[in-house]
Amino acid sequence: MRLKSYEEMNLQELDVMKEISSIGTSHAATSLSKLLQKEIRIAIPEVSVLGYEEAVDKIGEMEELVAATLVQMSNEINGLILFIFKLDMANVVLEKLIGKGYTSFEQMDAMDYSALEEVGNIIICSYVNAFTQLVGVDIDLSVPSSTVNMLGGILTVPIAEYGYETDKLMYINAEFIMDGVRLSDGLLMLPDIESLNRILEKLGVSS
Amino acid sequence: MTGKDLKVGIGDMKFARGDGQIITYALGSCIGITMYDPAIRLGGLLHIMLPSRTDPKDPKVFKYADSGIQEMIRKLSAFGMLKSRTIVKIAGGAKMFEIQGNSSFGNIGERNAAMVKKLLMEERMRITASDTGGSYARTMLINIANGDVIVRTAGKPEKHL
Repeated sequence: MRLKSYEEMNLQELDVMKEISSIGTSHAATSLSKLLQKEIRIAIPEVSVLGYEEAVDKIGEMEELVAATLVQMSNEINGLILFIFKLDMANVVLEKLIGKGYTSFEQMDAMDYSALEEVGNIIICSYVNAFTQLVGVDIDLSVPSSTVNMLGGILTVPIAEYGYETDKLMYINAEFIMDGVRLSDGLLMLPDIESLNRILEKLGVSS
Repeated sequence: MTGKDLKVGIGDMKFARGDGQIITYALGSCIGITMYDPAIRLGGLLHIMLPSRTDPKDPKVFKYADSGIQEMIRKLSAFGMLKSRTIVKIAGGAKMFEIQGNSSFGNIGERNAAMVKKLLMEERMRITASDTGGSYARTMLINIANGDVIVRTAGKPEKHL
């Protein structure tokens, strides 16, 4: 049976997504660790299929400022990947890379934003690399695009993009732990429904 | 007297009479539409996400501009709103991300705005103020006691529409 929406995924299928995510996240952590010259641990990611408001609640608050990097996937898998930095995560990255710390996103300049975009892109790319190898599909990635804005507004992008197909998002909670501190960030991988079916078929779990 | 505060989620509409305020948070590519009839102090706020309802069986009427505006007018009219007196204001329709080499990506905000303007014109309702486009999210709220509409964006002072 082919899935018509994210919420039709059964437990086994969700488990498979969790397994791939866990491998993807550890690759991303390795890249981040090399970049920051720091040991980074990960928590086993949670994969959840959430509505818009649930996703906002899970990550933060509607009007909270966050930095986000978005990359579009094409070729065998079509969809979007969104990486969200909350302030603490952004600060850790900027302190290590540029040696600056902030109390709000509004104090950052173009250079800081550009550094965050680059790190977001590296995390997304290593995640997708692991994913393509594991699933055996080719994925092309667009040039990354970034913004610093209200979390609620950023999450409307994938919701509107697939609004005619589904009201849900697939949220992967990729938690990085550095010096014992959990950094808050969010990775949203959003294959379109056809691509989701292809992934599950390739992995032999499509029910 | 302070009235109740109502919160409008994505693809929803709320209205109130007399006092209180209605708010919707972080409109990205979505559009917030307020209608206010000052004579009877009746106001509503609609938060649409997409331009048109392609599946007529889809029960989520407020998710789409076409079915949403229609239903909002129907509901408010049932409570006494007269289109000729009503003040309409819109906000939202931003393009949050720009993807190089794919200019059509994220155009949904622009399409939403165009659709909302077209539909309201067809309904012969004049938009007295609008704040659409750009690349940032907006929080929109309407004060039912006086019809004042406020738009909030990150890093900028509040704006009265």
